[in-house]
Amino acid sequence: MLSRAGVSIRALEPDRSLYVPEPARVVRAEQMTATEKLLEVERLSGEPLGHEPGQFVQVFVPGIGEAPISISSAPGGRTSFDLCVRRVGTVTSALHRLEAGSVLGVRGPLGHGFPMDELKDRDVLVVGGGIGLVPLRGVVQAILAEREAYRRVIVFAGFKSPQEVLFRDELAEWAGRDDLEFHITIDRPHPEWDGHVGVITTLFPEVSLDAPRTKAVMCGPPIMYRFVLTECRLKGIADEDMILSLERRMRCGVGKCGHCQINNKYCCVDGPVFKYSELKFMWEAI
Amino acid sequence: MALRAVTDGAVRELMAKLKQEMRVVAPHQREGREQWQFADVEDPAAVALRYTSTILPPKKYAFPTRETLVRYTMGEEFRAEPVVEAEPMALVGVHPCDIYGLQSLDIAMTDAHVDPNWVERRKGMRIIGVDCMPDDWCFCASMKTSTVSSGYDVFLTPINGWAEFVAESATPEGEAMLAMVNSREATSGDLAQVRAWQSDKVATQRERRINTDVNDLPLHFTGFSNSEVWQKWAAKCYSCGTCNTTCPTCFCFDVLDQIELSLDEGSRTRVWDGCMLEDFAVVAPAENFREERRDRIRHRFYRKYAYLFTRYGRPYCCGCGRCVRQCLAEIDPVTVLNELLAGARKEAKGHAL
Repeated sequence: MLSRAGVSIRALEPDRSLYVPEPARVVRAEQMTATEKLLEVERLSGEPLGHEPGQFVQVFVPGIGEAPISISSAPGGRTSFDLCVRRVGTVTSALHRLEAGSVLGVRGPLGHGFPMDELKDRDVLVVGGGIGLVPLRGVVQAILAEREAYRRVIVFAGFKSPQEVLFRDELAEWAGRDDLEFHITIDRPHPEWDGHVGVITTLFPEVSLDAPRTKAVMCGPPIMYRFVLTECRLKGIADEDMILSLERRMRCGVGKCGHCQINNKYCCVDGPVFKYSELKFMWEAI
Repeated sequence: MALRAVTDGAVRELMAKLKQEMRVVAPHQREGREQWQFADVEDPAAVALRYTSTILPPKKYAFPTRETLVRYTMGEEFRAEPVVEAEPMALVGVHPCDIYGLQSLDIAMTDAHVDPNWVERRKGMRIIGVDCMPDDWCFCASMKTSTVSSGYDVFLTPINGWAEFVAESATPEGEAMLAMVNSREATSGDLAQVRAWQSDKVATQRERRINTDVNDLPLHFTGFSNSEVWQKWAAKCYSCGTCNTTCPTCFCFDVLDQIELSLDEGSRTRVWDGCMLEDFAVVAPAENFREERRDRIRHRFYRKYAYLFTRYGRPYCCGCGRCVRQCLAEIDPVTVLNELLAGARKEAKGHAL
């Protein structure tokens, strides 16, 4: 009964917890916008999640179901972690009903996050479109926690309207820092907005980059990637230095169920973070 | 490896003996139809050892159509426990293509993360394979799955007009099973019949072939993404997912939540899913990464002959022909692959001119 590389399936002793959500509770819940809620979550075991920025967890609401949610805080410093949830489906609507003290389940951390080590000693351009800022918040927090390890750090954040701006207080703090170049834009003019207006690509002419030493990390809707990747290329950033996070229907999160397949990759185990150089010949990627 | 010869009666006697120890399943003919299905053996005499193909492959015993993965309590206290149900079972009468299918799923289910439910069910499974003659839809010769060299405890090849079998045991478990019934040493004449059987099996498929070596398929597929062939067959496809559900090497699933009426307990159940179904790649709110039928047909073929091939080192197609045998639109992988190959060759010729 040889099944693979000389391993007999009869000799395997599998870990039975692969699909079992671990109990966790909401430490803090905060409505951020009309559709986004921030949940600070801690496992009942009290163990830190041990994640890297860009990884995700399968969040389980008992009786409702599971949804893959990216972790939006950096590891380290505390045992809890943050999830920013947009209300779009059954599970996320149920997550919006949770308050501090509510119990839920988590599986993870899952997938591969942003390669923080590769960003060290490099200029880092962070590009987040809308809810795409959620996994990137963890990247920026991780950079700020060890700021001297990185060189120049530029953050582009784009939202449709002032009402949809996420992590307001934290972004204001980033804007005030002198070790981080922060640029924010909204898509269309709005009476309550006196900052930059235009889609996120209109921020590119605002900065000059030292392309060979810059790595760009980005997250946003597929349409944003098409234009941002082009801008990065025009700036001279190499394909392997453009790093992005993709969204797919990650059902099992462990490379079995097939839903998140993007050509020959599984988004859940090979990603969700990929280098553009890996994706550029994959017609289903972007 | 020991080569013995057993009679048809001895094989049936073996099933009767195994039944005293474990669940025994084998192919049975559906009454009045040219169709077979794997089912629990009640009477070994009713088992069809000589058959073409079953409706569903035997993977259903290691990967049931519905299977509970997790049970949990909710309310004040949330606690979740794994559910891994497995029972010792003998699968009798499994064809080489289906053995290949089970092995393919062994690879996928243990890669990176080990699926406990698949592994526990497979661990308790004894496999007695039996050889067959291809029907009009089989293409195991092209897929190089007309014979297998592992993945079974005992393999039976018919000799003397199905009155006897050459029985090869490949594991200690197989050895033990074979020792439960009378057998004789296989003669060189018996083995000559086995070799003849295997070459006949390939010979019958001379007309029904994929026009390339199967190992070259991933390379060919690098050039098929924009082929017109996808649209041609997409126009006929009903997007019903029958090809997925009847495939021995398909393993996609969804997980559903069920809660008890008391609302304090629930379970998570996995059910078969299929990449040909329209909502397979939908993410909230409404982005569908393979909205068009063409995209889904192309995806299925790429998964079978390129993606999983390069990922796991073998095609995820065993040439059993179930997908086309049961396809209302008669979408035949052999035809589709040959059209893709012919299109690419025509194009290459155009470039040369």
